Amino acid sequence: MTSSVQERRSGGYLERPAPSGLADVVEMILDKGLVIDAYVRVSLVGIELITIDARIVIASVDTYLRFAEATNRLDLYEHGGKSIDELGGSMVESGARGKTRGLLDGAKDKFHELVGGDDEDEDEEDEYDDQYDDEDEYEGEEDEEEEPEPAPARSSSRRSSNGRGGRR
Amino acid sequence: MTTAVGLGCYVFAIVPAGTALPATDTEGVDGTEGLAAAVTLVEAGELAAVVGRVPTDRPLGRASDLRAHDRVVAALVSAGVAVLPMRFGAVLSDESAVVDELLLPHRAEFVEALATLRGRVQYTVRVVYEQDAVLRQLLAARPDIRQLRETASQDATSQLRLGELVVHALEELRPADASAILSELIGTVDVHVRPPSAPDEVLNAAFLVDVSHAPAFERRVEQAAAQRGGRVRFRLVGPSAAYDFVGDR
Repeated sequence: MTSSVQERRSGGYLERPAPSGLADVVEMILDKGLVIDAYVRVSLVGIELITIDARIVIASVDTYLRFAEATNRLDLYEHGGKSIDELGGSMVESGARGKTRGLLDGAKDKFHELVGGDDEDEDEEDEYDDQYDDEDEYEGEEDEEEEPEPAPARSSSRRSSNGRGGRR
Repeated sequence: MTTAVGLGCYVFAIVPAGTALPATDTEGVDGTEGLAAAVTLVEAGELAAVVGRVPTDRPLGRASDLRAHDRVVAALVSAGVAVLPMRFGAVLSDESAVVDELLLPHRAEFVEALATLRGRVQYTVRVVYEQDAVLRQLLAARPDIRQLRETASQDATSQLRLGELVVHALEELRPADASAILSELIGTVDVHVRPPSAPDEVLNAAFLVDVSHAPAFERRVEQAAAQRGGRVRFRLVGPSAAYDFVGDR
């Protein structure tokens, strides 16, 4: 992965990760693909899966606060105006970074802790940082729910094909 | 339930029998202990499963596991093989279970699915708003949001109200932008629009594309992105296996 190339077209309007970033992989292979449980019942091995539930809740308090802050932040650009630090918690810390996307770095760290808890991650994280500033938004949304989720291979939570959204 | 040595049979994908297994790029993958260490074919009739060995005494799902799955499947796609990709985590007790419980009982279905996917790949396009640009647009268009932003105090209730208005306004903005983009990404075999995963996401969609058409599709994506530069950002992943087009059952 150290050889990974991030192809960016002029202006940065199109990203073509090569190879795919870890988050692309996660979204694809945990949530899509042929579900073996639908075909095989007898000889499934109930191996424990550590997976992240990538589903998010759009209509959540966290999301609203995040977008309120992003909206307020436009003030800072335009008028050098009011502080939004009172919103508290991790938002204060990252609010100082001056870019809305920076808000979500904490969530990314968390994501890495879970998915990338092994060997190769120094390189990975750099790559991930570069590619995934924006993706963090959804990885982070249910911070409190992103505990490793030991589940048997046939856990119904992994099988739901309608994937994300709608859970609260 | 498991073999004596505690190994399960990990299924990466289903392919046509006789497929020559390509070398998998295992850089960054877990070496000899990993899923991708000893990939083989288990054949039954005109079908084959691409399988690996996995110890059953440790949880699956580490980054290197996920990457191994992705790499093995991606190598098949790169080699031009028709592939039914499995969702991550498909472990059977042994190879005879793969034949007797997976391949043979569902033979007709898998053969037909492979025929549908032959010569086709998936591209995934994710489009998100440039946050500052879209928020400025909303503020310009919505006096109520503008006013609330000016007058709202910093307490959580006011901020929640502001955020809720903004998120709903984004949701109202999304359909027109999404369908405009979709209408430009034509010439594909099939499209699967995924549910939005963030308020500022415009579109997250998988496209099934004939390989012969892939360059044209990539150009269309590029053009659609270029036209909207500064307002939205595109992310194009692929060509990959058709993960979004095998799960309906």
